Amino acid sequence: MSDTTLLLAVFEEIDPAANAVEKLHEMNIADDDINIISGVPIAHKMLGRPHPWTNVSKLSLGGAFVGFCVGLFLNFGTPYLYADTVSVGGQYVTPVPPGLIIMFEMTMLFAMLSAFLGVLLDSSFPNYRPLEYVAEVSDGKIAIFFRCPNGEKQKICGCAYKTRRNIR
Amino acid sequence: MTATAKPYSKSAKTHDAHHEDEHDMKQYLMYDPKPRGEMNRMVMESMTTTSWKFWVVFAILGVLVATCFVYAWGYLIAEGLGVAGVNRPSYWGIFLVNTVFWIGISHAGTFISAILRVFKAEFRRPFTRAAELMTTFGLIQAGASIFMHLGRVWLSYWLLPIPNQRMLWPNFHSPLMWDLLAITTYILSSTIYLFMPLIPDLAMARDRSTGWRKTFFKILALGFRGTEGEWRHLTTAMNIFAFAIIPVMFSVHTIVSWDFAMAMRPGWSSSVFGPYFVLGALHSGMGAVAIVLFIMRLTMKHMDYFIRKEHFDALGKLMLIVTFAYTYFFFNDYILQWYGGDKWTDALLHWLEEGPMSWMFYQLILFNLVIPAFTLWNKKIRQTPWLLALIGFIINIGMYWERYLIVPVMLTINRAPFTWKLYQPNIEIFLTIGTFATFLFFYMLASRLIPLIPVWEVEEGQMTHSLRKVGKAELPTISEFE
Repeated sequence: MSDTTLLLAVFEEIDPAANAVEKLHEMNIADDDINIISGVPIAHKMLGRPHPWTNVSKLSLGGAFVGFCVGLFLNFGTPYLYADTVSVGGQYVTPVPPGLIIMFEMTMLFAMLSAFLGVLLDSSFPNYRPLEYVAEVSDGKIAIFFRCPNGEKQKICGCAYKTRRNIR
Repeated sequence: MTATAKPYSKSAKTHDAHHEDEHDMKQYLMYDPKPRGEMNRMVMESMTTTSWKFWVVFAILGVLVATCFVYAWGYLIAEGLGVAGVNRPSYWGIFLVNTVFWIGISHAGTFISAILRVFKAEFRRPFTRAAELMTTFGLIQAGASIFMHLGRVWLSYWLLPIPNQRMLWPNFHSPLMWDLLAITTYILSSTIYLFMPLIPDLAMARDRSTGWRKTFFKILALGFRGTEGEWRHLTTAMNIFAFAIIPVMFSVHTIVSWDFAMAMRPGWSSSVFGPYFVLGALHSGMGAVAIVLFIMRLTMKHMDYFIRKEHFDALGKLMLIVTFAYTYFFFNDYILQWYGGDKWTDALLHWLEEGPMSWMFYQLILFNLVIPAFTLWNKKIRQTPWLLALIGFIINIGMYWERYLIVPVMLTINRAPFTWKLYQPNIEIFLTIGTFATFLFFYMLASRLIPLIPVWEVEEGQMTHSLRKVGKAELPTISEFE
């Protein structure tokens, strides 16, 4: 049997939710044991939470580099894959100005695809397993899921009762 | 100086007699909040409440799609391009006109969504998705028109840079190859850019649906719950897209313009064709957004709460600015050609002004430059939805004529007068009706399947707006949550 309990508190406004997070911190419940779910993006500062990490920007930057290389290859590599390169209108086989267009498009395409891939990877999407969630969140409420030691449960629930918060 | 700010929260009372200003502020969506649950209900009802008139229009469009798009295109493929009107010297006909037109329509979605998001223009919030949908569906029509123009569509993979036994190498010097890459980039990125802000609303719809709709929304919502991490990843990616998609948007229509401008042909070879095309695209796209918003407000339940006069007013101002910018580039392009003294360009300009297609040339000037410039100054006109939609419609007719003059007409008036022969479209007319019907068909289908209003963005906007007391006045204030 687990020695921790998962509790849920639901709030209608940001201020009491922020106060609740502060109280949980005072009770030595770590940020890693708190999960906040909301129907709109709420800045971490408002709730006194640490800045959430994301790899989306880094992945996007990496994707941009890959795209740039793909553009380079398409423009300056593929013509030489053929035995007889085709020269059009006396132009160079691998001219730079049209190459810039190809490299630009490929860079942007791969940057954006990688950013989307980053969202899927970082958020573990798609994920259809049942997880901590209450549907009221999409009605604008803020849900705080937190794990606390079994022994602390009564104390936390008592504290919540005093402040008329909804603990489940 | 001191000032106090109070949030314009859902619980804000506005009945006090001295709060007349507040009453005035209620005309703005951001200062007229409703509980999120109620907004969700309104948006869900707008999706699920359908009158018989909707289905009648939907059925008519379905018939048009089946006949003018699917059957006509099948016939074109089976019989070959001989059944089309394209011929020497007009090798490019209405298919290319439609391509340029639909890419133009698609530009407004990105402009409204990305540029206004970057500049934090708050009025954008309720109608970004309606505009983004136009981008995706418009690009589908543009892509289809290109494939129609190809004729032998089963060989279209020859365009792709893949190794093959025929040793065919896609020529990256060609603007047509740039087109392929640019439009592919744009359609992929704009579709993802449409989908990402949709995920939280799909999750909302998932929580409020039953039966097949619940399954549909559950699959599309990808398991979104709204955790801090999910929001962070999503908003970061949306910001990256907002910045990255803007240069892509500009590049797409610039490259489309280079399809023409790179050729040494009277009327086409122009160094301002890139920005001129981009402005033309925004001009027609903005007009199309006005039409779509008017129809949404007129036909969909509760839309008068989300789409208000303020939005038409803001859109009208944007249309006015774009009109002037477009006029500048139109005149810039025209005056240089007029002064240039080239014999064939001179012949083309005289032909446009006095030839059999001069009615189209003058309508272009009237519809694209004169009417919007002289009407959109007026606030009452801007704030009257049907009038703004009508102006948008007129602009789109003018822009279609402009593309028609650029493609088949300027191909006709070339440096070899013995080939001058006016282009007469045949099956292209049906296929043009088909692309319009398909666009509307998709749009009507989407209005039943996905929330057209980004509810979470509207709520976020309403949370950031407040009234700030300065002296005896209460002034609107916007906070930045990010």
